[in-house]
Amino acid sequence: MALYEFRLPELGEGLHEGRISKWLVKPGDTVKEDDAIAEVENDKSLVELPSPVDGTVKSLAVEEGTTAVVGDLLITFEVEGEGNVGAAQAPTASESTAPAAAPEQPAPAQAAQPAHVAAPAASQPAAAVPTSHAREVLATPGVRKFAREHNVDISLVTGTGPNGKVTREDVEKYLQGGATAPGPADTATGDATPAAAATPAAAAATLAADSEEERVPLSGIRKIIAQAMSKSFYTAPHVTVMDEANVTALVQLRQELKPLAAERGTKITYLPFVVKAMISALRKYPQLNSSLDEERQELVIKKSYHIGIATDTERGLVVPVVRNADRKSMWAIADEIADLATRARTNKLGPAEMKGSTISITNIGSAGGMFFTPIINYPEVAILGLGRITERPIMQDGQVVGAQMMALSLSFDHRVIDGALGQNFVNEVKRLLENPRLLMMEV
Amino acid sequence: MSTVLEAAKVPYIQVLDETGKVVNPDRMPKLSDDELRELMKRMVFIRILDQRAIKLSRQGRLGFYAPAGGQEAAMIGSEYALQRDDFILPGYRDVPQLLYHGWPLYQWILFSRGHQHGTEIPEGVNVLIPQIIIGAQYVQTAGVALAFKLRDEKRIAITYTGDGGTSQGDFYEGINFAGAFQVPAVFVVQNNQFAISVPVELQTAAETLAQKAVAAGIPGFQVDGNDILAMYSVTKEAADRARAGDGPTLIEALTFRFGPHTMSGDDPTRYRTKELENEWERRDPLVRFRKFLEDKGLWTPEEEERVMEEAREEINAALKKADAYPKMTVPSLIDSMFEVLPESLKAQRQEFAGQEEA
Repeated sequence: MALYEFRLPELGEGLHEGRISKWLVKPGDTVKEDDAIAEVENDKSLVELPSPVDGTVKSLAVEEGTTAVVGDLLITFEVEGEGNVGAAQAPTASESTAPAAAPEQPAPAQAAQPAHVAAPAASQPAAAVPTSHAREVLATPGVRKFAREHNVDISLVTGTGPNGKVTREDVEKYLQGGATAPGPADTATGDATPAAAATPAAAAATLAADSEEERVPLSGIRKIIAQAMSKSFYTAPHVTVMDEANVTALVQLRQELKPLAAERGTKITYLPFVVKAMISALRKYPQLNSSLDEERQELVIKKSYHIGIATDTERGLVVPVVRNADRKSMWAIADEIADLATRARTNKLGPAEMKGSTISITNIGSAGGMFFTPIINYPEVAILGLGRITERPIMQDGQVVGAQMMALSLSFDHRVIDGALGQNFVNEVKRLLENPRLLMMEV
Repeated sequence: MSTVLEAAKVPYIQVLDETGKVVNPDRMPKLSDDELRELMKRMVFIRILDQRAIKLSRQGRLGFYAPAGGQEAAMIGSEYALQRDDFILPGYRDVPQLLYHGWPLYQWILFSRGHQHGTEIPEGVNVLIPQIIIGAQYVQTAGVALAFKLRDEKRIAITYTGDGGTSQGDFYEGINFAGAFQVPAVFVVQNNQFAISVPVELQTAAETLAQKAVAAGIPGFQVDGNDILAMYSVTKEAADRARAGDGPTLIEALTFRFGPHTMSGDDPTRYRTKELENEWERRDPLVRFRKFLEDKGLWTPEEEERVMEEAREEINAALKKADAYPKMTVPSLIDSMFEVLPESLKAQRQEFAGQEEA
């Protein structure tokens, strides 16, 4: 003798529950295959449930009047020969229907849960995530409509139905606060860059007449930024050290250079100076120009200096790269940054121009802020954040004097860089920015 | 030009009345006693299969199923009039015709469960899998029949839809094209009175569905679809004419399904009256034909019991075979469609490569 468990099958399209209105058998009864064992009522009809096996009723798992969900155990039989308890389940339509249906194997359809959005992206933060039709969300048209009407992106709802099918209840649950999807605002605050400004996707926003919120689908670039930021933030333990540099001399130098620059047709900013100062500091502390090979547990120290320049664009943050900045003059760097920034804003950068940086600079100062906690452009290990230069009084040699002060924030990956090293690096950058003449020795 | 009214002749054909009496001896097909018994056996088999399928469906052991019970005469009678080489383009309810045209029973079970092997029609079996899109197979039938004509093959294409299907554009396109090109096709409409829940009188203002043949310029017949001899006779005539190069025919079979539209959950008691159901039960195709055979001494209750028992065994054997068939994997599904895999599918196949052994 063996046991055979009978679970509520799907009694119609989109019917995922049924009310056991009447049991036609009781424990101890002998039943033949196809004998009616219960009456089940659902939205569409009242039907008799036939027994799938010959056997004796051992127990009833639900009481009359109970509503069972598809897959709920209804009744257990004692049967001759093989049952389906402990052994492989008797084949049912749904099981042989699709490979996804068998609960014991990792089903492709189960990937139709929000996790899949992040998972494949994690390993390749810079690339767009290919969406495969094989991973589309399972849901009936009615549920899709319901989700649409409530402005729910159904792909973010975790399905609890067969094969991860999203039911109306799942959507309701999601609406009641199961929501985990980052809204556009969330991404922006986590964003350590000048790109924190609103995304242009707002134009595509859908707004229900009576809704108190507005749901804006993330643009492709926004999704990539979100994935890259999350990957970096949750992989590398970030520490940020903050300091100020007295750049009075640098400000003066820039003023002096301006007419020269205008003659050359070059727009001179502070960035070329920072790039050069940073390269000098990197030569002294090469661990910051590196990445961590997690698999082999090795620090990969880069011998070239490719500097990523975080650039705010209307579509979002992009990081074009000044390659081999150590071999370029400051004029060349200034021209290159201007060119990259212009093309970034007109969406004309090639993918290769945004790859391969070894360390990055992000500048919030142009928008006005001072100190902040930049997020590392993973897999780099450090990022230097520039704040605004403000003229204010400081104490110098016992005197109050006016000075131009620049805010510096260096975030680094604490797995490979300790606080003292990080500060020493900042000190070196500071030293060069405070004494721009020293930079001459670096050219 | 002749007037329209002169062309509009749509005969109603019946051979057996509801009591099994021959009312139209001229139409009596020339079938041997064994062939007559075979017709009955097939109808009994399909009735048993239908009842079993409804139960299997409620046990979750079958996927999609559209009950055939009540329409056996229209289905079996028309298929019996075909030759092996003839091609069937079925609607979703037309499983019986496919089974008797060579589709293995276990493959139908797999098909119902969504297993791709169910749709791998064996070599030499001239059928397509059931079309779910209403009436779409009418257009395809005109095309298949045109191919037979162009290749000068003595084969015909036959298709089926329901009363609801005649409201589709595809229906008109199919019969019009077939008429224009005089292709060897037979178009059957099984008018079972309801398109899911919509009664035929709300479906069209036309008095009959067969008269739609008039507009297409092809012959149209309205047949007692619960009279298997009439169905056989009219289909045979249409098939013979098609084979002889005389073009297509539209056949409207008046019938009734005893069960719901499909097992996807409609409840017929909500849209059909008990009186209507009783009325059609009196016209049950099996009861009528049994009487006819018994009167001729060709059928006994014992014989029927034996056929029923055999049917049960055959269905159980097919179920076992279907249950034991290896589970479908995504790679095997992808591989079944193309001889040379397109790039897009190669990428998808790659994603599921690990399932190969499953």
